[in-house]
Amino acid sequence: MKKSILSLASAMLFVLSANAQKVEFEEYDLSNGMHVILHQDDSAPVITVEVMYHVGAKDEEEGKTGMAHFYEHLLFTGTKNIPRDKWSEIQSSRGGSGNASTDWDRTNYYQTYPSNELKLALWMESERLLHPIIDQKAIDTQNEVVKEEKKLRMDNAPYGKVIYGDVYKHIFDDHNYGRPMIGYIKDLDAAKLEEFQDFYNKWYMPNNAVLVVAGDFNKKEAKTWINDYFAPIPKREAPERVKIVEKERTSEKRVNEYDANIQLPLIGMSFKTPSFKERDAKVLDVISTILSDGKSSRLYKKLVDDKKMALQAFSFSRPLEDYSVYLIGSILSQGTSADDLIKEVDEEILKLQTELISDEDLQKVRNKFENQFVAANSSIRGIATTLARNYLLAGDTDRINTELEVINSITKEEIREVAKKYLAKERRVIMDYLPESQKK
Amino acid sequence: MKTKIYSVITLLFLSLSISAQVDRTKIPESGPAPKINIGTPEKFTLPNGLQVLVVENHKLPRVSVTLDIDNPPSAKGDKKGVEGFVGGMLGTGSTTISKEAYDKEVDYLGANIGFGSESAFASSLSKYFPRVLELMADAAFNPVFTQEEFDKQKKQSLDAIKNSENSVASIAGRVDRLLTYGKDHPYGEFTSEATLNNITLQDVKEYYNKVFKPNNAYLVVIGDVDFKTVKKQITNLFGGWEKGKMTTQPLPEVTNPETTEINFVNMPNAIQSEISVINAVDLKMGDKDYFAALLANQILGGGPTGMLAKNIREDKGYTYSTGSGISASRYASRFKASASVRNMVTDSAVVEFMKEINKIRYKKANQADLDIAKAKYVGRFVTNVERPSTIAGYALDILQNNLPEDYYENYLKNINAVTLDDVQNAAIKYFRGDKSRIVITGKAIDVLDNLEKTDYVIKYFDKEGNPTEKPPMTMPIPEGMTAATVVDKYIEAIGGKDKVMAVKSVMMVSNATIQGTPLVMTQKMAAPNKSSLVVTVMGNAMQRVIFDGTTGYQEVQGRKMDMQPAQIEEAKASAQPFTDMTYTSGTLDRIEPIDGVNFYVIKNGDTEVFYDVKTGLKSQEIKTVKTPNGDVQVPTTFSDYKEVNGILFPHAIGTKSGPMDLKFEVSEIKINEGVTDEDFK
Repeated sequence: MKKSILSLASAMLFVLSANAQKVEFEEYDLSNGMHVILHQDDSAPVITVEVMYHVGAKDEEEGKTGMAHFYEHLLFTGTKNIPRDKWSEIQSSRGGSGNASTDWDRTNYYQTYPSNELKLALWMESERLLHPIIDQKAIDTQNEVVKEEKKLRMDNAPYGKVIYGDVYKHIFDDHNYGRPMIGYIKDLDAAKLEEFQDFYNKWYMPNNAVLVVAGDFNKKEAKTWINDYFAPIPKREAPERVKIVEKERTSEKRVNEYDANIQLPLIGMSFKTPSFKERDAKVLDVISTILSDGKSSRLYKKLVDDKKMALQAFSFSRPLEDYSVYLIGSILSQGTSADDLIKEVDEEILKLQTELISDEDLQKVRNKFENQFVAANSSIRGIATTLARNYLLAGDTDRINTELEVINSITKEEIREVAKKYLAKERRVIMDYLPESQKK
Repeated sequence: MKTKIYSVITLLFLSLSISAQVDRTKIPESGPAPKINIGTPEKFTLPNGLQVLVVENHKLPRVSVTLDIDNPPSAKGDKKGVEGFVGGMLGTGSTTISKEAYDKEVDYLGANIGFGSESAFASSLSKYFPRVLELMADAAFNPVFTQEEFDKQKKQSLDAIKNSENSVASIAGRVDRLLTYGKDHPYGEFTSEATLNNITLQDVKEYYNKVFKPNNAYLVVIGDVDFKTVKKQITNLFGGWEKGKMTTQPLPEVTNPETTEINFVNMPNAIQSEISVINAVDLKMGDKDYFAALLANQILGGGPTGMLAKNIREDKGYTYSTGSGISASRYASRFKASASVRNMVTDSAVVEFMKEINKIRYKKANQADLDIAKAKYVGRFVTNVERPSTIAGYALDILQNNLPEDYYENYLKNINAVTLDDVQNAAIKYFRGDKSRIVITGKAIDVLDNLEKTDYVIKYFDKEGNPTEKPPMTMPIPEGMTAATVVDKYIEAIGGKDKVMAVKSVMMVSNATIQGTPLVMTQKMAAPNKSSLVVTVMGNAMQRVIFDGTTGYQEVQGRKMDMQPAQIEEAKASAQPFTDMTYTSGTLDRIEPIDGVNFYVIKNGDTEVFYDVKTGLKSQEIKTVKTPNGDVQVPTTFSDYKEVNGILFPHAIGTKSGPMDLKFEVSEIKINEGVTDEDFK
């Protein structure tokens, strides 16, 4: 079998240059500073409109957390011209669907329709930005819904606090990434209407947003409508951003977390890593592929397959604007001790820090990323969000087309150096994520 | 002149900006409807019965392939889970390639290959597809079922089951399926520790040999392939797959309860209740009222515009998301409306669920709601065309469900033809508000009291779906908590040990009215165990209870009775002025929630004492008194704690006199004064 792999590897050198498809787009600014990105694809009669705002949980003030995510809910209430609670109805009655999402850095709103509803989608999104309904009644209803969302996703779901980053408090002492993305419920309960309005006034403005239109549309028509609906929205003074510097950790920390919904502990090693914009972040993505993507990956093979110490092994980075979080985690099999498992993981990290990976592994990583790239760009929805994020957070819309080049230029030596630099023992936090019943 | 020019210019600007201004108050009209092209896949059938569908689509340089062995469902009985091993062990190498080499090559190619017990799936970049298809076929037809791999997967499955034991959603899911379809139905049974332990490697091999056959199989290829080339390759790789003798198992009948009932599963760790209103249905894709059923469901529980979401999420804020679903099946399917709601509103949510389900049954829907539902289906239909897999899925539906060739061409026409009457008829037929199971998985002590007040019979089930008794309505006592620690906590809460120990005597005067007549109660307590209680009405002593530390008496309306030896013992043991000190020798019996507040309950002799878990304060004492008519519980409640000399005392005391509630308000408290030994004579 080895033979065929080798011959494939040499074949690859040839194919590399004939890369996957390029994502074409056009971008420009409106007079009010709103950035616009257009991506045409007429393979199906569908359009997507997305507006992403450069505001997330990290921008919230102390004592007033939860606002960013709360807005994701609030901005479905209605607008001056869209009556209260009619948003979804209008959307559905034209065959559309949509949603919104928040993370620590940004909030996005998107809608997908048959291609003959572009004008409607633009109108709705411009309404949402220009004059949404923000009143006590809307706040009271959404407050309950947000609390239920927290219970559903974090409190009642196995490993929920890991999945939703509620454990980042152990990694960040100073930076707001250490606060729960959804905020503290007590802050939301105490927040007054004026404070909600202040938050909107501070962050929701055309010059702090990007609009993406993707799919099957006539460019000239689209540009006219975009201008009609969005250009009249007044520009405001751009919000001031404070970047909080998080000190480097100099000694290993070990913490416990408890979850009533689980029976098997999860052992996590988390590291503060560079912003997703940095090349090193990409190198870390490569490292997580080597460690845990696929059955032949090092941690999966060793911990799950060979030694049967873990039910699952994973590693991934949560790519964020100021820093990222890199997590290596395993769900322990019954009878495995946390320390034994850590020892095994340490061995693999040490190997990455001291030995160069093989040519074959390097090629494997490249193939995997190419496959992922094609999959990620298989829907116009996916492309729209990537374009918006690349522009808004990284200031480079074309990253979507250069990402693979970056991956392909990463060297074995670089992988070793990055592993040494960022996965050092003293930089990490080890978390024993335990069943509630083990709480003392 | 100058002004004129200005005004012309401004006018010009004005008119320009006016013409550019759109009318925001109007909803933009739709453009002309786009044309939808549903492609048809190319098809061929191999002599062994395998039917192949190919959808060529060159937009992206990738290909996916799905093998679907469409055998009728079969129950696995006490070996449930055997099928999971087939799926799990296929793709662990083959007789021609080791597991390690196989995993390595699949990863190297950046491909995905996966197996189910009666299915396989692979996807990759098109340049690697020929090899990936080869690997998939090899793993599917030349499997190695090794004992080592079997043992490993068994351990992992056991661990996974253990790990989901506390997951409210996953327990709710398995129990509600079991209750809907019955434990012997393939759709009702679930894998447990017991069934896993029954399975041997031989069972896995036999199961594979029985079901993994081409007779009922479909292979679907989608993406960047050339039909001719891929047909040749498929014929080569799948032509040798041998036909089998297929057997069909009769399926048990699926029934709904005679009248709607609650099926309750207790999960003490739940902080939300999983509520599902379920009934089994017999609905097939080819049924005349299939489209009406889809639309009725859309109106009731289809996303944020559905009746359920509007009421339960948007209006009441009970849940993050709610909705309903109905599916068609050749074998058995069901209607299910569900939500996760916070414990305290479980009963209210049940009421609202049933209200909406019955509303759509008994009241005609609005035309506007039906129009929205139709538009949603149209929109979904159009947007789904973006995915090549849709075309394959449609073609497969037609083949597997014996539908007419033009089923999907007429789909939108059929959706649009549904009337309000059709919707109501479908709702009456398929949403059985009258014969539903309301399956609730949640925390009994938080939700049962209120559920019992609803109109439904409650049946209890354990986490395996077996009928069981009503769960105890108390919570486990945390380790280390005892009667003594509860009392310590109380002392701490009212002011701390130092302050409390410094109190040698207490005098307390409180007032109440009984049938309009004012009562005055004067209590005097002195360390270590002296007490006196005098109740006066309009200045006359009605009742006195006196104990001087060694003996005492009771006097009611002038009739004096000496204390019995048992009463003396009790009074002696009773610490004064704070009787709570006595309860350290009682036992901490349970934690009981009352109206959402949890209380530690100490049992001391014939008295139960309740302390708030959170605040530490005492809320009531319930004394069980033996009477000729049986035991009677006499409660005394304590509330309105206020500070006197740095110590919190209850200023509202409630008790019962026969059938009457007596509410005493404390008007005066004196500490270490106003009490002498004279008071206890």
